[in-house]
Amino acid sequence: MAGAVAKIPSLISSGLTAARPKFNIFMKYARVELAPPKLSEIPQIKAGIGKLLTSAKTGAWKNQTVKQASLNVLVGAEVIFWFYVGECIGKRHIVGYNV
Amino acid sequence: MSELPFGPPVRVSPLIRFGRWSFLATGILYGAFHQNRLSKREEKLREIEAKEKIVRDEKLKKEKAIAAAAEIKALEEMVAPKK
Repeated sequence: MAGAVAKIPSLISSGLTAARPKFNIFMKYARVELAPPKLSEIPQIKAGIGKLLTSAKTGAWKNQTVKQASLNVLVGAEVIFWFYVGECIGKRHIVGYNV
Repeated sequence: MSELPFGPPVRVSPLIRFGRWSFLATGILYGAFHQNRLSKREEKLREIEAKEKIVRDEKLKKEKAIAAAAEIKALEEMVAPKK
């Protein structure tokens, strides 16, 4: 038992050294893919919102393949889940509200 | 590219990234606001409960005293029955 406890620090440090390169790779992708939108991208965002609205108005969203539609649903769900992540941060608790 | 094993990073559409960050921000605000509201409500309930607890404890104490007196009386009857 004492031996196992004594091994914990070296286990943690070796785990960290093993995880570092992977984390660096993750960060390289995240810098590009998870970056907050720049001010220069506002026109593109506006155009995207306009496209969403027109496709909702004209019913163009019904004219897509099942594959496209399911991908769009997944992307939309992912975007909405960020709201719940934010809620967890805002209420400073993971499950339920700690009143 | 040896440092990027999964190819170059995908260019995520600005609309999606904008949606993510704005939903994250609204989520943080909503969570803080809702937490505040719920804890205020709970605070009020706790005050009411504390007041009720005093009354209830008093009542329980009286009932206990009555029950104890009745028990002692019954025991006395058993030990020394009336002739």
